[in-house]
Amino acid sequence: MMYDSPAVLDAGPSDGVDPDEFVRAAVRWHFDPETGSRYWLDRAERLAFDPRRDVKGVDDLALFPDLSDELRQVPVADLIPRGYGGGARLLNVFDSGGTTGAPKRVVQLDDWMRHSTAQVDRRLREHGLPVGAQWLTVAPTGPHLVGDVLQRAAASLGGPGLSIDMDPRWVRKLIATGRGDEVESYTDHLVEQCRRILLTQDIGVLAATTPLLERFAREEDLLERINGSVRAIVWGGTHMDPDTRHLLATEVFPEVPLIGMYGNTMMLTALLERAGLDASQPCVFDPVSPYVFLSVVDPATGEPVAVGERGQVIVSHVSKSMLIPHNAERDTAVRVRPAGAHAGDAVADVAPVPTVKGETVIEGVY
Amino acid sequence: MAPADVAEPVYLDALGPRGPYRTRVPDTVTDVSGAEVARLSLVPPVYVDRALAALRKAGPVPADGLDALLAAAAEEFATGTVGGLGVREYEYLVSRTSGTPLTVVRDATRGTARFVARARASAEQGRPRGTVRERPDPSLGAGHAVWARRDEVFAVNASGNHPGVHRLWLEALALGYRVAVRPSRREPFTPHRLVGALHRAGVGQDRLALLPTDHRTARTLIRGADRAVVYGGDDVVAEYAHDARVLPQGPGRTKILVTADTDWREHLDTIVASVADEAGTACVNATAVLVEGDPAPLAEALAARLSRLPGLPPQDTRAVLPVCPLDRALAVDSYLRSVAAGTRPWLGGDGVVDDLGDGSAVLRPAVHQVADAGAPQLGTELPFPCVWVAPWSRTDGIAPLRGTLVLSVLSRDRALLDTLVAEPSIANVYAGDHPTYWMAPGVPHDGYLSDFLMRGKAVVGIE
Repeated sequence: MMYDSPAVLDAGPSDGVDPDEFVRAAVRWHFDPETGSRYWLDRAERLAFDPRRDVKGVDDLALFPDLSDELRQVPVADLIPRGYGGGARLLNVFDSGGTTGAPKRVVQLDDWMRHSTAQVDRRLREHGLPVGAQWLTVAPTGPHLVGDVLQRAAASLGGPGLSIDMDPRWVRKLIATGRGDEVESYTDHLVEQCRRILLTQDIGVLAATTPLLERFAREEDLLERINGSVRAIVWGGTHMDPDTRHLLATEVFPEVPLIGMYGNTMMLTALLERAGLDASQPCVFDPVSPYVFLSVVDPATGEPVAVGERGQVIVSHVSKSMLIPHNAERDTAVRVRPAGAHAGDAVADVAPVPTVKGETVIEGVY
Repeated sequence: MAPADVAEPVYLDALGPRGPYRTRVPDTVTDVSGAEVARLSLVPPVYVDRALAALRKAGPVPADGLDALLAAAAEEFATGTVGGLGVREYEYLVSRTSGTPLTVVRDATRGTARFVARARASAEQGRPRGTVRERPDPSLGAGHAVWARRDEVFAVNASGNHPGVHRLWLEALALGYRVAVRPSRREPFTPHRLVGALHRAGVGQDRLALLPTDHRTARTLIRGADRAVVYGGDDVVAEYAHDARVLPQGPGRTKILVTADTDWREHLDTIVASVADEAGTACVNATAVLVEGDPAPLAEALAARLSRLPGLPPQDTRAVLPVCPLDRALAVDSYLRSVAAGTRPWLGGDGVVDDLGDGSAVLRPAVHQVADAGAPQLGTELPFPCVWVAPWSRTDGIAPLRGTLVLSVLSRDRALLDTLVAEPSIANVYAGDHPTYWMAPGVPHDGYLSDFLMRGKAVVGIE
């Protein structure tokens, strides 16, 4: 059976609900024995505080320790809140990339998918993306969230999505074992598949990872084609340093707007670059209230850094379907004030941290 | 108040096909005490790819007037103001960042200029006698060979141990290759100045680029070029050993052999110089001395001479020893102690670190005597005057002398010299009173570079 939930928990991204009220309601939902998931109800006993009593708003998400490592083992059925009863519509189980060890798993329920797609759609429209244009997405699919987010974004904008899959785990394995030539061959294979599509189909939006865009820069015919017909490029998946971004925007793809996307599995969605900034300004990602909250902290103390300073990115995902509070990301970024009424921090110039818990972070084509 | 002469840090931009390029947040170059002295723009992979594409598109530097162009670049390098730096400022910065004594840097400036001016003639020395330079010469008859490039774009992943590493690639430029140089992040000044001087002398920016990168992007450069020379340690040599497109330049493991028919006392100056000139940092500095008979007197004399070398900051004109950051000096010292365990120390056994008190330290010389010619220590090459002295006997044969860049032989044994010249793993043999660091334009350092870059191509029927 379905349990009643406060209306605020069903709020969409355009409903303008109070983030603190939303967080309060969500935490009660996830920790109520009637509605919470098996995972959170079991875990509650080992928390040093009472979430239902102590979490009064967004800032109190910092009370949670980073528990995301546990998502490497938790049975995914234990993550679904009981409150959905038999009505839970599980669309996907997504894995993190496994950059820092075994993958972590999250579930995507139907209601969250709708909210996520709506917010991505809205941000893309702010960037003036064409409606009804064909997309080519070159991104990891399968257990990886990013490919799904892009496919849904294309569909939401009324564009048929053509896609090429990539396997980031295999690439990382090749890099870790020093098989650079095989990485190169695999990348060539991806470029070849893209070439067939780009040269024969009318592609209006290209969505690809940073290394793929860098690789396209070597292909004269593709550059001519992309600059001639593509009307927007969405990049994401890995980081893009400011110099690469500037070169891609001004020299490689001077005719095409370049729009950054920052997201990951623990966020369960993607944030789009703030509209209206050019390539010589920092690439800013705003959070999306009331679901995704960012903070930028000093990794040594956990205290927030000053606005304008670089620190480690902490991400909280809060929705009716999932709660992933206070997850320390493998990224650093400059703390920026968020746009509009969003709560928490915005981040600029996201960059990787070199190591996470002693394991070297390796990035490949993804 | 800060004194008026406190200057802004020097900016070392990348020098790409379309001119200087400054990144948004340039990397910091520090001197041996840790003070910032320059900002170096490390370019991202997409910049490297595009620069290489531009180099590939450009043709060779025209052969006509090349000697005059190189002479002008040599003059500019040795005396001009390049990238905003006069030659004295340049030499000071090299000395302060690499820790190389100023006099060594000054000698290197003149030496490099000499190599630049003669790069074309020097490269020509490596041409096989069966080939002609460019067009087939009708006088040679029906069939013959031209000396042709194997490829178009050559990359240099340079080291920063000695300014002299930048003498070699001039030959590639003279042979018509387009060249991309990745400087050492520790000492980027020399290649920046040299590339700048060549640009000013008329080498097109699309034919010669300076591409500073981080370690990871360096792989993009090496992979993206047709051919590359890569400087580094044994790990680098191992990484590229099976890549025919890459010429690794590893440790020199330079040695001196003294046989019983020669009195080493007459050659002590040469032996000391081989160990310690150039501050002992070059691959052509002697790492090991092998002596037929008792090595102890030679070790003692060598130690006595080396112990007198003063410990001074690198920019002092009397300085002769290398300087590095104190923590690195301590690490080198600790490594030396672990390697030297079980040997007989004649000098430096109680440490080689001479703390200058400003965050930097002099690395003082070390002389250790090992028990036999097969001692593993003989393969340990460190970036300061550090020498292993070993006994050698005829029964050891030439096995302990293998794997050597320069072998100076103080001996009258002609048969032994012939055997050493024939040994494939010894790159150069200097007989008699010649220091190991001797080099001259046109004489190969580790084979002719052109062996790697050029080939004879049979051409028939073109008059």
